[in-house]
Amino acid sequence: MSLTFLAPLFLVGLLAVAVPIIVHLVNRERQNAVAFPSLMFLRRVPFRSVRRQRIRHWALFALRCLALILLALAFARPFFDRESQTANAAGGPRELVVLLDRSYSMGYGDRWSRATAAAERAIAGLSAADRATLVLFDHEATAAAGPTSDVALVRAALEEARPGAGATRYAPALSVAQQLMDRAERPRREVVVISDFQRAGWDGQELPRLAAPASLTTVDVGDSTTANTLVTGVDVTRDARDGVDRAVVAARLARKGQRPVPDARVTLELNGREIEAKRAALPASGATSVTFASVAVPEATTRGTVRVTSSDDKLAVDDVFHFVIARAQVVSVLIVESPGSPAGRTMFLPRALGIGDRPTFRVVQRRSDRVTAADVDDARVVILHGVGMPAGAVGDRIRALVRGGGGLIVALGENSSTRAWSGAAELIPGTVGEIIDRSAERGGSMGSLDRNHPALESFRGTRSGDFTSARYLRYRSLSPTATDAVLARFDDGSVALAERRVGEGSVLVFGSTFDGYWNDLPVQPVFLPLVQSLVRHAAGWTPQRPWETVGQVLALSDARRGEALVAVAPSGERTRWTEDDSLRSLPLREQGFYEIRDADAVAASRVVAVNPDPAESELGAFAPEELSRAVSPVGTVDATAAATTTLSLAERERRQTLWWYVLVVALLLLAAESLLSNRLSRSARLDVALAEGRMDHA
Amino acid sequence: MHIGRTTGVAAGTSFIDPKALAKIDSLELLARTVVEGFINGLHRSPNLGASMDFAEHRAYMPGDDLRRIDWRLFGRSDRYFVKEFEADTNTNLLLLLDVSASMGFASSGISKLQYAKYLASCLGYFSSRQRDRVGLATFENTIVDYVPPAAKHLPIVLQTIARAKPEGQSNIDAALRAVAEHARRRQIVVIISDLYDEPERVVRAVARLRNRGNDLIVLQVLDPAELELPFDHAANFEDMETGEAIPVVPSLLREQYRTLVQEHTATLARLMREERIDYALFNTAQPLDHALFAYLADRQRLSRTR
Repeated sequence: MSLTFLAPLFLVGLLAVAVPIIVHLVNRERQNAVAFPSLMFLRRVPFRSVRRQRIRHWALFALRCLALILLALAFARPFFDRESQTANAAGGPRELVVLLDRSYSMGYGDRWSRATAAAERAIAGLSAADRATLVLFDHEATAAAGPTSDVALVRAALEEARPGAGATRYAPALSVAQQLMDRAERPRREVVVISDFQRAGWDGQELPRLAAPASLTTVDVGDSTTANTLVTGVDVTRDARDGVDRAVVAARLARKGQRPVPDARVTLELNGREIEAKRAALPASGATSVTFASVAVPEATTRGTVRVTSSDDKLAVDDVFHFVIARAQVVSVLIVESPGSPAGRTMFLPRALGIGDRPTFRVVQRRSDRVTAADVDDARVVILHGVGMPAGAVGDRIRALVRGGGGLIVALGENSSTRAWSGAAELIPGTVGEIIDRSAERGGSMGSLDRNHPALESFRGTRSGDFTSARYLRYRSLSPTATDAVLARFDDGSVALAERRVGEGSVLVFGSTFDGYWNDLPVQPVFLPLVQSLVRHAAGWTPQRPWETVGQVLALSDARRGEALVAVAPSGERTRWTEDDSLRSLPLREQGFYEIRDADAVAASRVVAVNPDPAESELGAFAPEELSRAVSPVGTVDATAAATTTLSLAERERRQTLWWYVLVVALLLLAAESLLSNRLSRSARLDVALAEGRMDHA
Repeated sequence: MHIGRTTGVAAGTSFIDPKALAKIDSLELLARTVVEGFINGLHRSPNLGASMDFAEHRAYMPGDDLRRIDWRLFGRSDRYFVKEFEADTNTNLLLLLDVSASMGFASSGISKLQYAKYLASCLGYFSSRQRDRVGLATFENTIVDYVPPAAKHLPIVLQTIARAKPEGQSNIDAALRAVAEHARRRQIVVIISDLYDEPERVVRAVARLRNRGNDLIVLQVLDPAELELPFDHAANFEDMETGEAIPVVPSLLREQYRTLVQEHTATLARLMREERIDYALFNTAQPLDHALFAYLADRQRLSRTR
């Protein structure tokens, strides 16, 4: 049971007690502090003493103070709150969500220890009736503990948490907080965001808003001044002029901060062995690059690492940069041509595919009567040039190839009649029709092109390929179904290029030939990039990048179906896919090298280097209040709940009516004060009269 | 003599409120303001002595003695120059400044010590301008600071005056004995104090100095509150020097107090006159230059009659 006030603002009236105190002090000052140069003359005056009324004045003073205090208390409407022992003093149990930033910038200096200390403080005040959730976030947010009333559980999760390699993103974290708040059962709801509030983490776009009555508290553990040295990237230049595959590695370094670094140590490691160390000078808030001597690239995939070491660097994660120097990728192409075609008729195709290393194409040419199933098995892409679908095992292998993710490119020619394709209708996008001869009008041209299609996206830029210069004297009509994609049309509206997705693979059909008989396309500049682009698309080839970034998801679509795979993260964590898994994607969360291999193999079939997002190294921050404003509830405190509380308090006070008794006592005291005051002033007047009488007498 | 007298004051002389003077930080500037102001207001220069040794020429200013204009120079330059002479007597002026705690009293505006400081600065400056040697002794029950009189000691004197703080109990008898030991040469001694002591003791102490051949000037400085006791409320009155306190109802003893103070100053004036000692009472509420001018004019008149 405790004394509570219905209108505590009236307690401000207690300050009125200061008035008699001040008056009293001023009087005392006046009485005691008249400094006078000399009492030489005053001492000679016969009458000099004054009466002291301190004790009686004190009584009066106490009466006045007490009366004022009681008046203020009465107006504050006091009552005894018997329910306050059970209810939480500030409005009942709490639902607390702690959003703890674990992006790699939190590893700067002692930020992490300050952040965990702040989180510890936030959960320290929880009672048994409260509930808490610890959400760790970087580019994604996960609830590490809770919602739970067991503080020990939250504390244990907090002790296990460490800053990772991810970049800060506030939207996912606040989205989780919003969901938790929406499901919360406790009347008081609070979200605490502990972060360094990096500008890179929020671009000012709209964030999930918390619903009332949830409140947001921010704890900024950022530093006012920062210094950071980092490796922002690596350029690998390949050189195979002397028959030896060599690579030149150039590292890009950056310095964030107001002080330069005159002597940073930069090292290059290949497969875990330090190859070369160099010194670099980094200007304040500037960048530089360091080029290492060329090294011979081994046959297998090479793991490279560049490290920079400087004296005042407090953020270690971005000092290391991993990359992979991979073997040249090869795509096998099988060109199947008509048995009766003269030698050299299809020379343009292998020539066009013989150039380039991204990827390198290995071309095999076969006549349709001599092609074998083994030829198809070795190929990633089959080009059927002016021939129909091969029958028998070869045809079956081609179907299997396409369904398994391989590619089939068909150039319709003299022998690509409707009948020749009748047995493979499931592969051809639509129906192959008759030959359209436009030689009378000196040929047609390409009318439209879907440059947004992945097969033609390399021509998306302006002046990236002139398709209109080629003249098409003859082509076959093609009638694709609604589910097939039309990539290009001739100027008369006939389909020039269409695609059908079959299984994991792709079938592309070109309405004319690639040999220069039906058109002059092979002698146009656009021929080479067009052929390479079509073959790359059909092969499902994607360039293997030297490194990926934390937060990306690696799609393993090029891995053949039906094989069990294992991915091993840098920390040793394994992800397995069985033969039946169709969705094979690997979220990259750690910095280092991921290994992907067959389930039963020891050696890695693919190595992926993963680096943290360099944007996170920009340690500039925004004001936490901006986030509070963007996230705080639109509405005010729940009016219904507040009204209920007020009503019940008023009810309790009304039943007790303590103020009435207090007021009566205050009035009695004031009456007593009046009496005492009158008596004192009468007595004072009498004293003065007596004193003057003594003077006269003297 | 009372400060209320304005004998010899020329029309147009501006009197400066002590509160306004308090805003001037530099005592030298203050002294120059006051002294030059009232010199310009006089019809004739109040210089007390003639000179024999030529020092320098300076431009003629209204009020200068026409006889001192150098006509030979006028014949050559067609401009008026006045000949300046070294003081004939090379008189020493020793300022004795009471810095006891009671001098710190101020009922309003400036304290007695401040007023006394202005007085001492003005007299020192004025005297130095006449090429007298100026010295200073600040005292309470003994000498606190002593600057021997010398022609170039005015800046030190002014600095020492500026530094003085009201502390300790005054004992003019003991202080003047100590001064007598320091000052062996005949000199003009100006005592500036509130003279809280029996008149007989004060005069006896001052006369002892005079008997050694010194020319004595006693300037008593009092606050109007000391003269009038204008307090309304009953209070404890505390002696600033001894710390002793007695409860007092001022309204009941004001008249008697005033009578006692007037008797005291009258006795002092009478005894001083008998001993041929110059005495003047300064009220800190009165303009400083007014009081100083009145006193100096009076002194000049008296010197002619002596």
